[in-house]
Amino acid sequence: MKAEPSRRLRLPRGEGAGAWLAAGSVALSLLALLALLALLTVRGLGHFWPSPVELVELEGGRQLAGERVREVPHAGGDGLERLYRIGNQDLEGGRWAWVRLSAIEAVSHPADLVVVERRRWGQAIGRLSAFQGASGERIEGEAAWPALEARLAELGTLRDARDRLREEVILPLAGRNDETAARELKAAHARLRELQSAMAGGRLILATADGEGLAVPLEQLLGARRPNAMSPLDKLVAWGEGVWRFLSEGPRAANTAGGVWPAIFGTVLMVMLMSILVTPFGVLAAIYLNEVAHQGRLTRLVRIAVRNLAGVPSIVYGVFGLGVFVYGIGGRLDSWFFEASLPSPTFGTGGLLWASLTLALLTLPVVIVATEEGLARIPDQQREGALALGATRLEMLSRVVLPMAAPAMLTGVILAVARAAGEVAPLMLVGVAKLAPQVPVDGDFPFLHLERKFMHLGYHIFDAAFHGGDVQAAMPLVYATALLLVLVILVLNLTAIFLRHHLSTRHGALTRR
Amino acid sequence: MLDSPPPTAVRRRLRQGRDRLATALITAGGIGVIAALLAIGLFLAVEVVPLFWPSGEASAIHAEALWGGGETAAEDATRHRWAPTATLTSGEAPRISLVPLAWGTLEAAAWALAIAVPLALGAAAHSSLFMSRRLRSRLKPTLELMEALPGVVVGFVAGLVLAPWVERHLAEVVACLVLLVPGLLLAGGLRSRLPARWREALPLGWAGLWLVPWLALVLAASVWLAPWLEALAFDGDLRRFLELRLGLDIAVRNALIVGAAMGFAVMPSIYALAEDALSGVPASLAEGAQALGATRWQTLWRVVLPAASPGIFSAVMIGAGRAVGETMIVLMASGNAALMTLNPLDGLRSLAATIAIELPEAGPGGVHYQLLLLAALALFVFTFLVNTLAELVRTRLRRRYRRLGGGS
Repeated sequence: MKAEPSRRLRLPRGEGAGAWLAAGSVALSLLALLALLALLTVRGLGHFWPSPVELVELEGGRQLAGERVREVPHAGGDGLERLYRIGNQDLEGGRWAWVRLSAIEAVSHPADLVVVERRRWGQAIGRLSAFQGASGERIEGEAAWPALEARLAELGTLRDARDRLREEVILPLAGRNDETAARELKAAHARLRELQSAMAGGRLILATADGEGLAVPLEQLLGARRPNAMSPLDKLVAWGEGVWRFLSEGPRAANTAGGVWPAIFGTVLMVMLMSILVTPFGVLAAIYLNEVAHQGRLTRLVRIAVRNLAGVPSIVYGVFGLGVFVYGIGGRLDSWFFEASLPSPTFGTGGLLWASLTLALLTLPVVIVATEEGLARIPDQQREGALALGATRLEMLSRVVLPMAAPAMLTGVILAVARAAGEVAPLMLVGVAKLAPQVPVDGDFPFLHLERKFMHLGYHIFDAAFHGGDVQAAMPLVYATALLLVLVILVLNLTAIFLRHHLSTRHGALTRR
Repeated sequence: MLDSPPPTAVRRRLRQGRDRLATALITAGGIGVIAALLAIGLFLAVEVVPLFWPSGEASAIHAEALWGGGETAAEDATRHRWAPTATLTSGEAPRISLVPLAWGTLEAAAWALAIAVPLALGAAAHSSLFMSRRLRSRLKPTLELMEALPGVVVGFVAGLVLAPWVERHLAEVVACLVLLVPGLLLAGGLRSRLPARWREALPLGWAGLWLVPWLALVLAASVWLAPWLEALAFDGDLRRFLELRLGLDIAVRNALIVGAAMGFAVMPSIYALAEDALSGVPASLAEGAQALGATRWQTLWRVVLPAASPGIFSAVMIGAGRAVGETMIVLMASGNAALMTLNPLDGLRSLAATIAIELPEAGPGGVHYQLLLLAALALFVFTFLVNTLAELVRTRLRRRYRRLGGGS
């Protein structure tokens, strides 16, 4: 490290090792964050891309067909092992297969391999050997695939017609109670049965890689595709459909397959209820602390205490919610109003209302602190000016102070929502369910069922990842759900950050004037 | 209200009455909300009382059984155990020692802090001293986003992705840890050898950003070098080395994984507070030191850091409070075995995770339920005290800055 004297003069001395380690810790944190987000994005979105199906020939002539999942070093020795998802869970040795790389003789991607998504048993992979229509005719060979596709398209339109009939004709009619309605209802039911019978029947027969036959009734079929024969555009369309189905359908197979629509719905509903509860109370408490209360030692202590409550673990709020809301208030409500259904509890068990209340309590400090900061930032001249012009305190608050503090309140509520959306631990105590058969909103009076349990994205991640039977199968969906949850929270937080930035520039201008 | 008629006495009285009513309502509401918040501690305390103060047939439990060793257990190893629901064979008391849970909580928090504190303090020092203003104004919200990542997602990645990977690649992890620091120093050394034009393209103010790809490269290189390191230092098999030579059991989900994940989660909040404390130090102090010829790093070490040390302390305290109460990460990444070992590669079980798992099954009013409430009370009191302490220290610090900085 010999530098010329002139250069040494021109440059400042180096900062030494510490500066680089400090810079490195920034870089390391950013790297970890990036890695986490990249992992979630790639695995979460990649799952919906139709991956190619490989036909693997092993030593000894055995064959298997499946999607490549990952490779790890072989446990007892050298070489790599590769995991294949081979589907066909209802057959012997189905679903997953570990294959040593050294045992693979040849790998090919035949275009005629079909991947079938079924309602009951998950995926099935094989060659389409025959398609049997509703009337029993059997189509074999090359013609089977076009026939299957045509039949699937037909089934799609029939299903749409049935759903429309159900929603637009039968449901409104079922509510009415007179002669003509009964007659029309009968006709509609007859039409429904017609549609049902048109949809019934038909099956396809797959020949799996090792030569077994596998019959799939069309009622069990959710979709069929030939990934190796698809063009990138087809794959993109299939990917879009996959994402849409993930967002719009309910879970299947003990939360290891299907979509997360009920969880999205439950999360959003719970968060909405929570923000309706938390906003007025949080703002009220902040106004009291900042505008009404005498600014003495006690108020300062209370302010510190409220700030500290934001740091109390969420699980403690969950315990409070369980003990006071569920067992205390809920149990009391049950014994007063729902005695008929005791001992099975109505409000005396976790539910939507209690979860929203608990989370409202949990996020109350966030809203109070944010609103108070907004209130404190308003210059006192504004208040004094309003009072000097003869406004009462209420008028001063409602016409001058609150409109100016509105962005701060909004920031607080958004931060509260972001915190509540990601919080899982207290919900485990006060009302989340791994699978809620009934959505908390439906057509029955009183339409919003506050006592029902609900599903939640965060808990869905925990449940599918840790309590599912086949974690391997659930992983892609857990990734996708985690990505969804992170996206929701990132968007909410970015909104809050943007608002706060906007707010500080505005108030900067205000105090300068 | 621009052209309202002049207020008559009735109107004025109405307005004043409305004002008084509103003030009363705000006062009542505000006090009510704050009372409801503060009732949390009260509720936990009241519910826990019967544990120690038996009334009627409810069985009293001595504090000794909770925190000390059970007299019934003969062996030393089983003295502290948490098994409140275990079926009892011969009239022995249920094992309800909270010690292993408290131990697990503190162990997880300690590992989390061991990882988060250096990272957060380094990042805070760098961003308050060296970082360009523009990058700093971007970095703060980014780390806030990191703080907002839900624990369940971090826990899932740690428990189901990181933990199995680490189990298969122990040597690679060790290699990454060993080569991280030399890699960073190498970056600094290489940069000072670069021609001046290149050096200007890689300013220290943006090092937080351009070191990211370099670090990725270093980590990739250490993964590549790992087998060689394993052969050289650990007899070719790190796992066997740890198990045989050091006598460590290795669990897939262990305290180190929990520490890494929770360190990741806690780091942003420590960073935010530490950065506030460091950049709040009056500029005149640092400028004076630099005018006397100190480098920026010397200024930090000798002047800024001592001045800001109470703020740093309160940042670490806040981080400790968060780490102790974090539930989902520990629940998902720790294996939840109530062990009391010093081995960082063994599992643990924390108070918060125990509450989350067992409280829904414990019937209200029973001993098990009250025990879990006691655990919740312990968490509440601990975090509340720690946060209050941090807050007090911070208030005092702000006053000190005002004194030091004179007018600013």
